[in-house]
Amino acid sequence: MSVWLIALIKIIVLFAWLMLFALYATLLERKESAVIQDRHGANRASIFGISSFGIFQPFADALKMLFKEDFIPDFADKKMFKFAPVLTFFFSSLVIIAIPFGEPIKIGDKTISLQLINPDIALILIFALSSMSIYGVILGGWSSKNKYAFLGTMRATAQIISYEVALIFSVISLIMVYSSMKLYDIVLFQKAYLWGWLPRWGIFLQPLAFIVFIIAAIAETKRAPFDLPESESEIIGFFVEYSGIRFGVYMLTDFIETIMLSLLITVLFLGGWHIPFIERTGLSANWIKAIEIIGFQIKTFLVFGFLLLVRWTFPRYRFDQLMELGWKTLVPISIFNLIVTAIVIGLL
Amino acid sequence: MKKFSKKDREVKLFVGPQHPGVTGNMSFEITLEGDILTSVKTHVGYLHRAFEKLMERRLFIQNFPLVCRICVPESDTNEENYARALEELSGIEVPERAKWIRTLVLELSRLQMFMRWIGGIAGTMGLSTAPQWSVGDRDYILDLFEELTGGRIYHIYILPGGVRRDLPEGFEERVLKVMDYLEKKLPDYDDLIFENAVFKKRLKGIAKIDPSWVEEIGVTGPVARACGFPFDVRKEQPYEVYDKLDFEIITENGCDLYSMAMVRRREIDLSINLIRQIIEKMPKGDVWTPLPNVLYWKIPAGETYVKSEATRGEFGYYVVTDGSDKPRRVHVRGVSTPHAYTLLERLVPGMNISDFSVAIVGLQTCPPEIER
Repeated sequence: MSVWLIALIKIIVLFAWLMLFALYATLLERKESAVIQDRHGANRASIFGISSFGIFQPFADALKMLFKEDFIPDFADKKMFKFAPVLTFFFSSLVIIAIPFGEPIKIGDKTISLQLINPDIALILIFALSSMSIYGVILGGWSSKNKYAFLGTMRATAQIISYEVALIFSVISLIMVYSSMKLYDIVLFQKAYLWGWLPRWGIFLQPLAFIVFIIAAIAETKRAPFDLPESESEIIGFFVEYSGIRFGVYMLTDFIETIMLSLLITVLFLGGWHIPFIERTGLSANWIKAIEIIGFQIKTFLVFGFLLLVRWTFPRYRFDQLMELGWKTLVPISIFNLIVTAIVIGLL
Repeated sequence: MKKFSKKDREVKLFVGPQHPGVTGNMSFEITLEGDILTSVKTHVGYLHRAFEKLMERRLFIQNFPLVCRICVPESDTNEENYARALEELSGIEVPERAKWIRTLVLELSRLQMFMRWIGGIAGTMGLSTAPQWSVGDRDYILDLFEELTGGRIYHIYILPGGVRRDLPEGFEERVLKVMDYLEKKLPDYDDLIFENAVFKKRLKGIAKIDPSWVEEIGVTGPVARACGFPFDVRKEQPYEVYDKLDFEIITENGCDLYSMAMVRRREIDLSINLIRQIIEKMPKGDVWTPLPNVLYWKIPAGETYVKSEATRGEFGYYVVTDGSDKPRRVHVRGVSTPHAYTLLERLVPGMNISDFSVAIVGLQTCPPEIER
């Protein structure tokens, strides 16, 4: 097996994993909201009369999106209009290449790391890529030549730029603690214990950074209560002119961004695949690896579920309040956290 | 380089009649400078059904299916007002029990309207859990209406001379059961909406009303009471049996959307309290004074103005008769005309576009009653 073949298989598996997760994320969101809102949720899509709680619903949705009329307004800039959803989808799903999913596994005499690439600047790469995805939003709203879409675009741009500052400041303090930007090394750092009982996870080392990160992450993904770019009761959203699968791609991108951020939260704050005290149970190394890979998935899933939950319990912020929260609360807190971290590290 | 004037920076937008944030059937031409609204112009005419004119060409009794459509979600106020106007003009006495039943129906109708409003205000702020809950809970009240009158929205239950039929057996217990359920559920609404920090942050200080406008424009109902004006037609000029019920006028002093919301929240409790009182005190007896043959029913010449407290404010009917079997003129005072038209156009300058649809719902606009 050549290196290229392994890489190709990894790409295919990663992409399939991401698509499946994103598709079922839509179902999860619908089911979760249904539980909160005293409803049943989607349960009608069935194959040969088997509906089983709507597990076929995402595919029915995707099919519906594919076969809907793909309407492009006459006044829109057609090339950019078609290009924008692809751009935002591409960059936001590219983040996954640097995420480690577990310890390297051995097949035959080959060691395969569960990570596509492990660059030295993984965190910078990730935030650079996720910032690029805002260009899709800008182009989409702008090329629609619709006033509502334009307003949504302006909001999205301002919001994402401001919250990226808080997000990255909170990550800088993490980098100082972990003294590495490699995600694999960050997880390895967390696989230890403070005073012999407390896992050395990011959430315990940097609780303030965790809070800032999670708030900024919800704002980054443009989800409620920070869903101003697409606030449907005010300006309808930057994708107001989109229909069919192009709209579907935008919607899927939202979920992909949320998945990416829950993956990042798991890696940076929740110890990645580390399950506390599993090495003291005396299981064989292979079993531990397998359990840890599953544990990583479960952690990501729980974080993702939490990020979805917020949407159904808060009204939307107003735009000036959103900016205030970003610049006057989150950024000062994260800078304060950074300074305190620097002092503590200097003293130790 | 070209210098941009203030005019160049302004953007004109049409909000509605097809817009998810507007109650529908009316359009707002708004001028934006950045995110801030500089002016608004209300355009109506998307729902003009000429009710007042149509009523002049129909028999008195034929108008009942028309009046209940003047404000779709709250039809009983219209029916009660129109029936009371005809009773005053023709001198028909209403049996005591019928008055109590009418009051019960009016309060139930007020309660379901408030539940619907909770969904509206939360929905415009992107909290879609509340509409699902409140519309679901409102359905229990609509079930009661269905049992009592046969219709969920349009009841045509209150007629001149009383009500169409007596309460079904065991109806009182079922009403009390729904009230118990709602009282148990309301703390959840408080947690989700009224006590929510973001909700308070969004509404406090928004759409601040100048107290001098209240008398100038004719602002009534929860909007005026949120400004500290203790005005409630139920207390000032009691109709039906409101003088026999024990209640206080609810006021707040904020003059903003949050105070309006809190007035409505407390009036939900008041309505539940009133319904309990009504069921406790309701006497036995007839519910219907038989009318003469309604196809040839002539009412002597005269004119009258009756008013009542609808959910949104003071609702009035001015009826003129000329001795024939049809009304000469019926004029309806809809609450939304001063609220969504005059008041909104004054409130808007300086408002953020995000608050615009919240303000429309916060004033409880009901477009059908602007164009009768």
